[in-house]
Amino acid sequence: MSALSRRSPAGLAGVVILVLLAAVAALSYLGWLPYDPIAQHPPSRFLAPSGAHLFGTDQFGRDVFSRVAAGVGNSALIAVVAVAFATVVGTLGGLVAGFYRGFADGAVGGVTNVLFAFPPLLLALSLASVLDRDWFTIAVAIAVVYVPIFVRVTRGPVLSLREIEYVKAAVATGQSRWQIMLRHVLPNLTPIVIIQVALSLSWAVLTEASLSFLGLGTPPPAPSLGSMIFEARSLVFVAPWTLVAPGAVVVLLVVGLNLLGDGLRDTLDPRSRVRR
Amino acid sequence: MPRGAFSAVGAAAALTLALTACSSSSGSSSSGSANGPASGGRTLVVGVTSDPDTLFPWKATQFQAVNVLQNLYGTLTEFDKDLNVVPGLAESWQTSDDGRKLTLKLRQGVTFADGSAFDSADAKASLDQIMDEKTAAVARASLSSVKSVEAPDAGTVVLELTGPDAALPANLATVNMAMLSSGDTEEKLNATPNGTGPFTLGKRVPSQSITLARNDKYWGAEKAKVASVEFRVIPDESSIVSAMQSGNVQLAVFDDPLVAQTAAGGGTITVARTPQLNYHVLQLNAQHGDLKDVNVRLAIQCAIDRKQVLDTAALGEGEVTGPITAPAYKSDPNRRPCPGRDLAKAADYLAKAGKAGGVTVKAIVSQGEYATSVNEAQNLKAQLAEAKINLELEVLESGAFVDRWVAADFDAAVALNGGRPDPDGAYGRYFTSDGNLNKVAGYSSPELDELFAQGKATTGQAERKAIYDKVAAELEDNAAWVWLFAGYTYTATTANVTGFAPMASGSLQYLRTTAVG
Amino acid sequence: MIVRNPVVRRIVRSVVVRRVAGTLGTLFGVAVLVFVMLRAIPGDQITAGLGTEAAALTPAQRQALELYYGLDQPLVAQFFSWLGNLFTGNLGYSARSQQSVLELTLHALPVTFELAVFSIVLALLIGVPLGMLAASRTSATGNAAGQVVSLAGLSIPAFLLATTLLSVFAASFGFNPNGQGFATLVEDPLLNLQQMFLPALVLGFGIAAPILRTTRTAVLEVRSDDFVRTARAKGVPERRLQVRHVLRNALVPIVTMTGLQFGYLLGGAVVVEQIFSVPGIGRQVLLGIQQKEYAVVQSTVLVIALAFVLVNLLTDVLYRVIDPRVRAS
Repeated sequence: MSALSRRSPAGLAGVVILVLLAAVAALSYLGWLPYDPIAQHPPSRFLAPSGAHLFGTDQFGRDVFSRVAAGVGNSALIAVVAVAFATVVGTLGGLVAGFYRGFADGAVGGVTNVLFAFPPLLLALSLASVLDRDWFTIAVAIAVVYVPIFVRVTRGPVLSLREIEYVKAAVATGQSRWQIMLRHVLPNLTPIVIIQVALSLSWAVLTEASLSFLGLGTPPPAPSLGSMIFEARSLVFVAPWTLVAPGAVVVLLVVGLNLLGDGLRDTLDPRSRVRR
Repeated sequence: MPRGAFSAVGAAAALTLALTACSSSSGSSSSGSANGPASGGRTLVVGVTSDPDTLFPWKATQFQAVNVLQNLYGTLTEFDKDLNVVPGLAESWQTSDDGRKLTLKLRQGVTFADGSAFDSADAKASLDQIMDEKTAAVARASLSSVKSVEAPDAGTVVLELTGPDAALPANLATVNMAMLSSGDTEEKLNATPNGTGPFTLGKRVPSQSITLARNDKYWGAEKAKVASVEFRVIPDESSIVSAMQSGNVQLAVFDDPLVAQTAAGGGTITVARTPQLNYHVLQLNAQHGDLKDVNVRLAIQCAIDRKQVLDTAALGEGEVTGPITAPAYKSDPNRRPCPGRDLAKAADYLAKAGKAGGVTVKAIVSQGEYATSVNEAQNLKAQLAEAKINLELEVLESGAFVDRWVAADFDAAVALNGGRPDPDGAYGRYFTSDGNLNKVAGYSSPELDELFAQGKATTGQAERKAIYDKVAAELEDNAAWVWLFAGYTYTATTANVTGFAPMASGSLQYLRTTAVG
Repeated sequence: MIVRNPVVRRIVRSVVVRRVAGTLGTLFGVAVLVFVMLRAIPGDQITAGLGTEAAALTPAQRQALELYYGLDQPLVAQFFSWLGNLFTGNLGYSARSQQSVLELTLHALPVTFELAVFSIVLALLIGVPLGMLAASRTSATGNAAGQVVSLAGLSIPAFLLATTLLSVFAASFGFNPNGQGFATLVEDPLLNLQQMFLPALVLGFGIAAPILRTTRTAVLEVRSDDFVRTARAKGVPERRLQVRHVLRNALVPIVTMTGLQFGYLLGGAVVVEQIFSVPGIGRQVLLGIQQKEYAVVQSTVLVIALAFVLVNLLTDVLYRVIDPRVRAS
């Protein structure tokens, strides 16, 4: 953390944003929200933002701030679980495919291509019909869509890295392949993977929104940022704040994640660390 | 259900309101006719979200398919815009004194699109095939009282009935009862429709557009006003609004109040709203678990403020309703054990059922099938929770919802069901013990069987109304379902469109009287 | 250039040989997966066509319909008759459209392809220069511009941007080429280009973000490499340095990302195709799923898969052309 703040003010800004959002999400876990995010109160429908309702109320008279706060937590949980799964599985796949080439490459490439070529829509629909529908299913559905991206993004660089002198040297000294992969190749992939994680996290939040569109998102009435945006898009002329609030929070979340990603890249990149 | 709804044509145009005044006509509106034929009139472009999934009228239940086919095919009887049954291909009809015979006199000089003449042989062949299970015609059950069909001469068809059936003339008026030429097959008609309607098929580009041309040999006193009608596929409703604002599309039908509001907001589009026959309902399955107890069902009825569901889910766009929505037979929405929300009474009913601690009911909800479903479900859940009734929502993709609904695999279902102009057509199939949807309805009783039989055997309008009031009371007193509200259909037109009469189902039957300036 | 270089030619040939077997394997995998997954989704063509009216069917009526749609066959027989037909060029028939799947695909695929090309071009035009600017430590404005574009591109859902653009243009300027019937590039090039503009912009904007970020990262990586420092020390002019040395060596990840996004566009532009009424391949799949026209979905997905594999092949070939390190091996 101190390295991050020293080397990258942008990264620090990202951390600050994310900590703020995490604090807001924590309010909902601790039950310190001004209103119950699910309880409806029809007499106060469509109230504009005010002191009593910071972000106004929606068509059921629910407090938009409370819902956004609870939604940040739900969306982040889904996105983090999905991306973590995709990162581990996908990077491993890309590493093996790029390094071993030959049969392993063919096998990983085959599975990747099958998943890639598959319309995400159909994939999500089928998964959701086979599994019970809750937040974890949604995370898995998103993860399966993102695994091949990580494979592809890492495989190309691994192909290049394999030819770099010090990797070749390591091979020559007789280190095991796994050692080489983990010690020499993987660290060099870190910046690419981190960028991809930051991108994927924000995509995952938006993908969850598209899944709501298909009836596969977070089951109502539990709020998530994606489903809130989706529901509010037709209310934009009636009550713009119902769209603006979750929309702004998504932007903040994405901005925070990306700034952090950039900061981490600048801090963690082994070569830039050595040279600067 | 929404789909079935559209096979029944109905209207209650009396309440049609214009949401905005027309603005002066703008010059850009002619662009819609740019790619249509110019001779002898203009092209009217209708925006639709999907093209027909079938062109075979006996199997068409999709809204868009019904709308197209209604303009291509003719039926023995028709509905006018106020829902009265009026002559169609049959000029007149008469029921025998014992009610066991319906004689229809056919219109002379009617031809199909291929030029062949329509006569009683075609009518008999059509009705016989609809009744044949192998055809899998969706309207087969509407002819269940028909024993046989005779064609004594070229201009007469006689239906021999098993008993009186006052609803039969109305049942003949849907496009699922379309008259086909006796030699035509499903394969042939899917490629080349051959009907007696005011239009014939012009050109079709799958998933993009279907264009109908005026039928100059149409039997009606007036031929269609426009030379052709293009149904242009624009999958997203808001994009249809945009296409109307830019003058590319002149007419569209919406069912989402928010889209209608957006359309009306710009000032160049006129939006008329028409009360629907379709009704939003919380279906209860009285064959399942705790819902077997009438007291639990009544507790649910008492715990729900229908107006609140309407206000929160549909922005108040609609009216609270009882079971029957057809204007001539309309039920009084307050004629039920709990006319308003009454939590004390709900608690009493639960106590009577021995469930004072509360019950859990699982409800299926479809997402995407219609705009307000999930919102209704959320509000119902919140309201019922205050009465210790836990409504567990299962939000399903529409295919999954239909599967579960068809299999009656639910405790409760949040649904938009199709109303029909005749109450027997609307509810006989659900709430008589031998009705083909009784399994899905989940409730029947000897009293209801008796009342529905009386309704069929009675011809006078006032007498029938009295009988169906009793049907409605029976349904509400036993909380067979909880009827919520009926919404509006929104017909949007640009300023240069005249002569269109909107109908309650969103039916486009009156394209034939519509002109583009 | 590719053909004349003997090294590259040999590599391309060996890649092609290796890829043919792999491609067939991939396609078979897709075929099995799509077949199984489609049937895992509740509902069939009967309930998709009739909706809840299907509940009113008598058993005999249901049987007649199953026969009509070929649903009475055992699953294995359905799979192999479909697969067998593929080899004779018969991709199946869509009863809804009254056209063969082959005809439908021949209409839809070029449309999607065109849209994908336009979107990628726009995305590269936006993403690469901004990415390079963002990587230059001297240009604060470039960095800021890059951040704004990439963050907006990443955080605005495509359906929101598409709807907003469409309604603003239509309501305020009466400009809405997508409201007219769709014209192909051959039928009416001018109208076609107008109709492709907004959808390509929306898609390109979304894709520009990952391309921008990839460019920035790659450029930063390369710039810290020795040969760039050496070149700079030797006094190679800055512009020439940026393009010849830095950008060229940063191309691998950019090409990877571009190929990736292009592949996605072939099957994943459904939402934008819906909103702008573009009759592309994504919509064909969606309609097929909605109507449960199994043959349409299966064959179309397979075509998309094939296109995807081809794009990948091209990407891999490009690596070898671009990356001096891979080429040298």
